[in-house]
Amino acid sequence: MRLSKLRKAVLVLVGAMMLQAVPALAADAQLERIEVYPAEVRLAGVREQAQLIVTGHYADGSIQDLTRAATISTANAEVVTVQGTVAFPAANGEASLNVDVDGKTAAVKVVVENQDKPQPVSFLYDTLAALSKNSCNAGACHGSPSGKGGFRLSLRAFDPKLDELTLIREDFGRRTNSLDPDNSLLLLKPLMKVAHGGGRQIRADDPAYAVIRDWIAEGCQMDTAEAARPIKIDVYPKSGRVLKKPAVQQQLSVWAHYSDGSVRDVTPLAVYSSSDVEVADVDRNGLVEGQKRGEVAVVVRYLEFIESSFITFIEDVEDFVWSDPQVNNYIDDAVDQKLMQLKYLPSDLCTDEEFIRRVYLDVIGILPTLEEVTAFAADQDPNKRDKAVDGLLDRPEYSKFWALKWGDLLRLTSGQVTNEGVYKYYRWVERSFRENKPYDQFATELLTATGSTFSNPAANFYRTSKDMNDCVETISQVFLGARLQCAKCHNHPFERWTQDNYYGMAAFFNRVQRKNTKRANEMFIFVSQSGEVTQPRTKQQMKPWVPGQGDIENPNEFDRRLDFAKWLTEPDNPFFAKIEVNRIWSQVFGRGIVEPADDFRDTNPPSNALLLDQLAQDFVDNGYDRKKILATILKSRTYQTSYQPNDFNEDDTKYFSHYQPRLLSAEQLLDAICHVTQVAESFGGLPAGTKATHLPAPDLVNNEFLKIFGQPERQTVCACERTNESNLSMAIQFFNGPLIYGKLKDEGNSFRKSMTDGKSDSEIITLLYNLAVCRNPSDTELKASLEHIESKEDRVEALEDICWAILNTNEFLFQH
Amino acid sequence: MNVRMNKFLLSLSTLVFTVCSLHGQDGVSFKADIAPVLINNCLACHGPKKAEGGYRVDTFERFLREGDSGAAAITAGNHDESESLRRIKSEDEFERMPLEGEPLAAAEVALIEKWITEGAKYDAEDPKAPLATIVPAPTHPAPPEAYPRSVPITAVAFSPDGSQVVTGGYHEVVIWNAADGSMVRRIQNVGQRTYAVRFSKDGQHLVAAGGAPGRLGEARIFNAESGELVTVLGTTSDVVLDVQFNPAGDKLAVAGADSSIRIFEFPAGNLIRTISSHSDWIMAIAWDNEGKRLASASRDKTAKLFDIETGELLVTYSGHSNPVKGVAFHPDNEQIYTAGADNKIHWWKAADAKKAGELGLGGEVYKLEKIGNIITASSADKSIRQIDAAAQKEIRNYGGHADWTLSSAFHEGTKRIVGGAFDGAVKIWNAEDGAEVVTFVAAPGVK
Repeated sequence: MRLSKLRKAVLVLVGAMMLQAVPALAADAQLERIEVYPAEVRLAGVREQAQLIVTGHYADGSIQDLTRAATISTANAEVVTVQGTVAFPAANGEASLNVDVDGKTAAVKVVVENQDKPQPVSFLYDTLAALSKNSCNAGACHGSPSGKGGFRLSLRAFDPKLDELTLIREDFGRRTNSLDPDNSLLLLKPLMKVAHGGGRQIRADDPAYAVIRDWIAEGCQMDTAEAARPIKIDVYPKSGRVLKKPAVQQQLSVWAHYSDGSVRDVTPLAVYSSSDVEVADVDRNGLVEGQKRGEVAVVVRYLEFIESSFITFIEDVEDFVWSDPQVNNYIDDAVDQKLMQLKYLPSDLCTDEEFIRRVYLDVIGILPTLEEVTAFAADQDPNKRDKAVDGLLDRPEYSKFWALKWGDLLRLTSGQVTNEGVYKYYRWVERSFRENKPYDQFATELLTATGSTFSNPAANFYRTSKDMNDCVETISQVFLGARLQCAKCHNHPFERWTQDNYYGMAAFFNRVQRKNTKRANEMFIFVSQSGEVTQPRTKQQMKPWVPGQGDIENPNEFDRRLDFAKWLTEPDNPFFAKIEVNRIWSQVFGRGIVEPADDFRDTNPPSNALLLDQLAQDFVDNGYDRKKILATILKSRTYQTSYQPNDFNEDDTKYFSHYQPRLLSAEQLLDAICHVTQVAESFGGLPAGTKATHLPAPDLVNNEFLKIFGQPERQTVCACERTNESNLSMAIQFFNGPLIYGKLKDEGNSFRKSMTDGKSDSEIITLLYNLAVCRNPSDTELKASLEHIESKEDRVEALEDICWAILNTNEFLFQH
Repeated sequence: MNVRMNKFLLSLSTLVFTVCSLHGQDGVSFKADIAPVLINNCLACHGPKKAEGGYRVDTFERFLREGDSGAAAITAGNHDESESLRRIKSEDEFERMPLEGEPLAAAEVALIEKWITEGAKYDAEDPKAPLATIVPAPTHPAPPEAYPRSVPITAVAFSPDGSQVVTGGYHEVVIWNAADGSMVRRIQNVGQRTYAVRFSKDGQHLVAAGGAPGRLGEARIFNAESGELVTVLGTTSDVVLDVQFNPAGDKLAVAGADSSIRIFEFPAGNLIRTISSHSDWIMAIAWDNEGKRLASASRDKTAKLFDIETGELLVTYSGHSNPVKGVAFHPDNEQIYTAGADNKIHWWKAADAKKAGELGLGGEVYKLEKIGNIITASSADKSIRQIDAAAQKEIRNYGGHADWTLSSAFHEGTKRIVGGAFDGAVKIWNAEDGAEVVTFVAAPGVK
């Protein structure tokens, strides 16, 4: 019996892995039993193999991966052989494998078949997978649109037809040599036996080498039309495994399920990546190695199939004692569950002064007045924080401030929907918040809008989404949290989105028509009754398609968008509610449970899946009531924790053990400066007293300060367009910028007015502190300020200095 | 086990370069003994594409020049001050060259040591010449007795009397009876692949041009009668894709994947001119009817026309906007035909490179072969076109191939057309009536 090259390669590989340290076993727990996956092995071809995974179950309920600690032996080497932790077929028959760890044993039944038949290498499912495994077709290498060094592959093998031509035929078949496969350029180059710009990328003992070599040796055959094709992959272990230091290794196995019902081990050809390499790394053989406590999604890719296994790594933290913190609602339970597991201790509650400032900025975007601060401080009601939340949600500034956030997503600019249009559209969005329009209704009205952009401002949605592609990309990012741009030209290189999916989604929106009317600046949106989408690569006519459900068989031919909106707003839609609650969460925490908040994908798992699920369920159960879910979030202890970390949560940035300070947004900051100085900013033709947080569109007025502090131009739907990264221009603005200078010198500003009113220095200083940071100055602060005034000849100038200094404190600049 | 053993032997036997023996009588030769070792083991990382450690070995001069470490690479007569030798011999696997590869054979190391001891002398002419151009022509391994499967037919030619057809094979050219497709004989000691076969004007010599992809290019001149190797011209580091005799038959132009054209006197074999103007592979070349100009088709998406007396670039034609793969002169000597990956044959004026017309095909077009007034073209549309070069129109479309056609030729005396395909099939037709004469698979041992 011929030993296939692949198998030999695997033997070498496994041999090499065996040299690694056997994982440390937990010393204090008793191993009760071992479990082997798969429990039964079927090897139905000469090229098959089976990666075995051995799991130990301990008396304390913990588990660990014992794959590398196990001794695996065959009962009949004529039928099945074992090398390390992988079983290989030898001859047709049945046999069993015996697995032993410290005297605990398990048996695995093995059936071997088809050893008397050839099993040719599949171009589509083996060769292309081998090229992907070795990153030959990665975007930075031969998968770039123009290839590299005259050799071009399709990105991650999304276009097998092109790859077939390139590999077998281009340049007279130069790359493969089926008379002497090892002398093929396709192998000599990555081996660096012939100069290769990409350097050495493969070893002769890699499984991928054997696959490519054998495929060439068999004459570079294409798959037959009737050959079984993979339909999905399974990764073992499934999500949810918790590993405790020091036992932080986990071998994965990957199983491809084929259209004929067969299942194959594709562990050697799958590609592995970790969502957070600081928490855990994964090597090319699928061995995960924990680095520190936390969670990762190990993403496994085999051709276009992508699955993840979520693994949690925990460890003992010296002196850690759970403090049983206050629990206000289910949010705190979900957060605490995660914090307890990872051994982070939540910070204490923030002070009332911190809370009032924080919640004003988060809900209505502006700072509380002196009276409001004083009243809140004086209120003795134990529920005063809840009362403050409810009160703020009913303020008119709430709807204006949240319309600003949605204005970013909906790209409200006069440039895109005209000056007249932008006010109408803004008022529509603002009213939706004011009337607390259920979010499903809000989305449906946008997605199915028709008619005049004047009489139905929601129709502007299709004015800013200028064409079919724009619709697909906008809608998927805003409502599905998926960035689909890549899939326009090729399958998404890292995610499950394919080019077919893109054009399937497009089939809901291709019939939207836009025409200008006779009225200036008005556009009319309508839906035509025909028109199909053709996938540009396959030339296939696409049926409307949605994730999870697939093709819509009998779409509403009057307006297919209705089908999409219906699917989107079903209570069990896996995207809709989660994206919105995550977006709301990220607005008030500065970080989403999924972060970035509009980037949901396998490779970017939520930091607390239970929390996200419960918030989404609550949101659905309450009829997509945005005010209510926001109130629930704001009333949680989690929202109200101090920004100051303790000894047991300092290095946590994603599990919400303490509040993460963040720079005020451009509009908040400008309003806050005006608030402290009591000098309003004027915005061109807008009514006097208009706040920056109430601007309908960024291009209605050209304000340099806002631009420097990250006001987005609203050219894209990406939340990332609003940056809060600090830069030198910002520092210069605060150091000696014209805006702050002007307000400090203004004859009618807060401290000059107080001086005129005959207030004392202490009173004025106290006022400024309350306006800026919602608290009285400390004794030290007050003393220092008074001394400064003392030392200056000019009292006004001294007060300018003090106000300037307060505006430059982190306490003022940051939401905390 | 037998299968594996055979494969192993096959791999061994097909090594392109063979190391000369230690028992050279006049000491160690750089070009014959050292250069092949460098090419096989060092050049991939220490060459013009990739110069690891700032060190290159692609010419003798560079081989001696120190890399980034500043240590003398080779010091004549002194092993201890020859960093390259030290790295080759190092016991430390993180230092030993080739890194991550098998160490050099003891015999190879011994050769290098002996050569240094003997004074590290250079026994070729130009110390700046690429190593590939100075190594003595290798003896190529024998082709398989019977092919396990066919190979693409990338070169065909009729014998001068038209009675035989020559095809490029695997490490050989094979001669077939043009009437019945039976194999006549095999000429060995040929590079792995052959992209052009041509007879000299007097019919005495047969040129097989090709090489091993990414490793070697050359034009081998054989005695057509005996099959003896006469000489090897135009050796480079990647395949030669075309060779053409001038009309007088006293010059041979060689071009290929090194993007340059070399012109040799024939049969003397001395290089008289090198033209390096293209930025990518040259796929095909053609002499004008007087042998004064040469046109070239390149993967750089242009065709160019050169004055051979001066080497001057006359015009560049960019009309294909795609790789250009075939070229031929119009009988009037004023126009040039080119063909390429835009699936078209264009004709354009030699004077100003202005396009004069085009003919569309159903797939990309390969070489244009001109005999007398007839041009034949092979194409990915699986046909062979016969074109009246003067009238600029298609005479006949020869179908029937099941795969892309890659090569073609016409014989004026017998009025036969031959076409070779990717799947190994060769078809011969009667050009007078278009009737198929014979079809065979040009792979010894394959039916």
